[in-house]
Amino acid sequence: MNPTEIVRAVLRAAPGALVVSSLGTATSALRAASEDGPHLYMGGSMGTALAAAIGVAEKRPERQVVALLGDGETLMGAGSLWSLAGIAPQNLLAIVLVDGHYTITGDQPLGVPAVFGDVAAALGLATAAAGTPEEVEAHVGSLARPALLEVRYDERSWPGPSPFVDAPVVRWRFERAARGVG
Amino acid sequence: MPSSEPTWQARLADELVEAGVEVATWVPDKRLAPIGIRLAERGVPLRTLTREDECFGYAAGHRAAGGTPLVMIQCSGLGNSINAIGSLVIPYGLGFPVVISMRGTLGERNPAQMPLGRTTVAMLEALGVQSFPLSRPDAVAPVVRGALAVADGARVLAPILLDAELELT
Repeated sequence: MNPTEIVRAVLRAAPGALVVSSLGTATSALRAASEDGPHLYMGGSMGTALAAAIGVAEKRPERQVVALLGDGETLMGAGSLWSLAGIAPQNLLAIVLVDGHYTITGDQPLGVPAVFGDVAAALGLATAAAGTPEEVEAHVGSLARPALLEVRYDERSWPGPSPFVDAPVVRWRFERAARGVG
Repeated sequence: MPSSEPTWQARLADELVEAGVEVATWVPDKRLAPIGIRLAERGVPLRTLTREDECFGYAAGHRAAGGTPLVMIQCSGLGNSINAIGSLVIPYGLGFPVVISMRGTLGERNPAQMPLGRTTVAMLEALGVQSFPLSRPDAVAPVVRGALAVADGARVLAPILLDAELELT
């Protein structure tokens, strides 16, 4: 399974969701899987994607919101797991794409335990782990919110589209989608 | 006899509410606390987050989804937030107000606060962010209204600096 297949499964299970993707693999995979849908693609600001998704979820409580996070991203913004549990938006799912490496900087290993689901469970969040697209689709469809879904994959090919997005265009398209006019 | 006049913090919070602020994110600070209490009394959710850059991330998402968020931090927290401002808030064109409680300036007794207090305005200016000092209680209304106009209309970050003089006068 590769990141694009994972994100395709996410979008099949949550077709109308507003998605926030962290820089690097997550943004590239979301661009590929959604054919450049109007999502909030991060081009930088490592460690802030989950916080941004909490902000989106609180502004749009009637919408499904997904935070699509790299594993290094999740470490850098680890405090936001606590905020996810504390604020507990009922419409937000965090998905961590776990390959154990900082991919965009040249495949350096994380160097720490990749135990995102265990940490989330300790915080009282609903959690699940998936290793196939079918499992991803099932968990995205059934997990109570807020939740963290840990997805492990080993096919570490680059998804394709550039992760260096045109920020004002991304923001304009996303705001329209969030308002329901996009 | 205690005065029934609202404090400058309460009036500042009231102006933020009147200007349409929907949610406030903060990392706790003694000078900001009365503002947060008043915001909460006025029905604005107060989200206590774990780091200041998380506040900027939250506010960026809220603003990108069409909202009007507020960030409240101590100026030392600006140092934690530089990358979130520089690679998210500014390039994506996300304007919102930030209330910054100034430490490391007049009256400061903690040596550890001085370097970030001294560089707050310079850091913002280096990023191309104009800031708006608030030094006197009677300037609360024009400064808050003006900053909100900048954030909403000109779509840029609008930091209001709470100068130490507010409490030294």
